[in-house]
Amino acid sequence: MQDAELAALAQAGDREAFGELVSRYAGQARRVARAILHSADDADDAAQDGFLAALRHLGRYDPARPFGPWLIRIVANAASDRRRRLKVRRTEAIPPSLPAREPAPDTDTDRRSFREALLQALATLPERQRIAVVLFDVEGYSHREVAAILKVPEGTARSDVFHARRALRTQLAAWEGWKEETG
Amino acid sequence: MSTTSPFDHRQDSELGDALRSALSADDDAQFAQRVVAASEAVFVGPGVPEQWWNVLTAWARPGLVAALVLVAAAAFWLGAWVNRDTSGPAANGTMLGDPLLADSDQLAVPVLLAGQSAPNMDEVLAVALGN
Repeated sequence: MQDAELAALAQAGDREAFGELVSRYAGQARRVARAILHSADDADDAAQDGFLAALRHLGRYDPARPFGPWLIRIVANAASDRRRRLKVRRTEAIPPSLPAREPAPDTDTDRRSFREALLQALATLPERQRIAVVLFDVEGYSHREVAAILKVPEGTARSDVFHARRALRTQLAAWEGWKEETG
Repeated sequence: MSTTSPFDHRQDSELGDALRSALSADDDAQFAQRVVAASEAVFVGPGVPEQWWNVLTAWARPGLVAALVLVAAAAFWLGAWVNRDTSGPAANGTMLGDPLLADSDQLAVPVLLAGQSAPNMDEVLAVALGN
């Protein structure tokens, strides 16, 4: 069943249809929220807020357009709002330096360190670049769709993806060799 | 990771895979259950917007009652106004013109105006009040 049909059913009160939509987009929504918020718990709360906000406003969804970008924009907004609220409450600073690459006892530890390094590198990017690169390179959205989600011109979305990639590659340069060895 | 330009429309699969691995959680099904459970409050509450025809249907009965009350009030007011028009003081034609049309020899308006001296206040009031 198409997303638009499920959305119409969910709007009419069909719990299963809504559950199916949540299952389809849970991973994507959580990843986008995690790209915005550093804590996994906060990200999940924001993703949930996004899903529930989408459910409340299903009447505004245009079934002629793809459901994913519409939903992800709501999730991204929910995550951004939460991040702003958290920023006010606790002024936690992101460590500016990446963890140094140390000799690892095994591949799992190395992989975990790389993951942390990648997340920290991502966290140093401006929020819009973070969302843009995740939507484009991870979720497979086009530049046009990324622009629609971020409400920016397509050229800006294109530029955001480019700058994010370049910054990530620069910050993760030390890991390139490791990736070749273990990848 | 491959070199790209802002004009490259292709995904960077290497970076994409790394980011996907770093950002993904392995309990999406559990998360979905949690969201569905939380959505119950939205389904039960006023969260899901109704279709416009449902909203109109819900308002149809109170709307009819309100319209009937308005019609009844308008009819009552109109009836009262018509009665007032036929049986009130205006119907006798004695409102403003009466003092001016009074044919008393002493206290008619022409008498007041014809006098050489200014009429006193009592005479003016008597004419205005119709003696």
